Amino acid sequence: MKITLVKKILSDGSPCKKCADVIAKLEASGQMARIDEVLVADERDSESPGIQLAKKYSVDRAPFFIVERPDTAPEIYTVYMKFVKEVFEQETEETDELKEIMKDNQDLDFL
Amino acid sequence: MTNSLSATDISASLSEAGPFQILEYALGEHDNIALSFSGAEDVVLVHMASQIKPGVQVFCLDTGRLHPETYQFIEQVRKTYDIRLELLFPDTEQVQKLVSQKGLYSFYEDDHQECCGIRKVGPLRQKLLTLDAWVTGQRKDQSPNTRAEIPVVQVDRVFSRPGELLMKYNPLANWSSKQVWDYIRLEDMPHNALHAKGFISIGCEPCTRAVLPGEHERAGRWWWEEATKKECGLHASNIEK
Repeated sequence: MKITLVKKILSDGSPCKKCADVIAKLEASGQMARIDEVLVADERDSESPGIQLAKKYSVDRAPFFIVERPDTAPEIYTVYMKFVKEVFEQETEETDELKEIMKDNQDLDFL
Repeated sequence: MTNSLSATDISASLSEAGPFQILEYALGEHDNIALSFSGAEDVVLVHMASQIKPGVQVFCLDTGRLHPETYQFIEQVRKTYDIRLELLFPDTEQVQKLVSQKGLYSFYEDDHQECCGIRKVGPLRQKLLTLDAWVTGQRKDQSPNTRAEIPVVQVDRVFSRPGELLMKYNPLANWSSKQVWDYIRLEDMPHNALHAKGFISIGCEPCTRAVLPGEHERAGRWWWEEATKKECGLHASNIEK
């Protein structure tokens, strides 16, 4: 299994706060060692590796994770809590996961 | 199975299509598909879908905090159209824990994410995990900040089952509010009585208010929170190059 984390740099050059939060959590839990590659999606550079992957997999937010396993299509995770629950089998509070989904997917406010 | 690349192709091919055609495609393509109905002007999709596929599956998120007018309207829609209408409720334990710890109006003190997560996103996710595709009434003109780039078809990665792709259709994406209301009047459809009281965007009672003439409809939702930029979005201008 290969895990790639794509983090973002905003168009003004500043780092993405959510990406930093996610990396801090992964490092605190020791799970960062299980991330094989970290790529940058630089909003100022459409050729940056992360932007290219976002385009390839039709992802419109960051951070996101790509999980590649032999003989299966890559799985894309845009929700950190969902990623650690399903890939690292970490126990998570459902309410934390729901809050993350709501916070990161503002288009859900139509509901 | 539809993949993300073909979803992009489908979206491109349907980008000029009208809502009825997009719905026809979606309902023809998926057996296990349902419409999300908010109890507002997205009734146009219920109206169209019930003609295309009588008995179509429709669901509403009953947060327990809706206006009486919205409940009355939902019931009117249930009786008017040939649909299978399902009301979805939040997890009782999660609501009790939230209310016990933070009271009934915590969203005025912090923000609406936690309450919406429990009352809307939780039951929505439970439902979507059972579906192959869903239909929403999202429109680009509803929010320049968060919906300006919504396609008519997309892969919903947030709510997909592990290893599978959930398709999300937004047939009204390219329609304006005026087009929606012209259609409602033309077809003499029922509508939520709150609209006649100055409400445009309708959600839960504590988080929805009427707007003044000329105000954007989003001014009627979570007005006490500052508008913030979409931190997690990747600008499509870069992605699509």
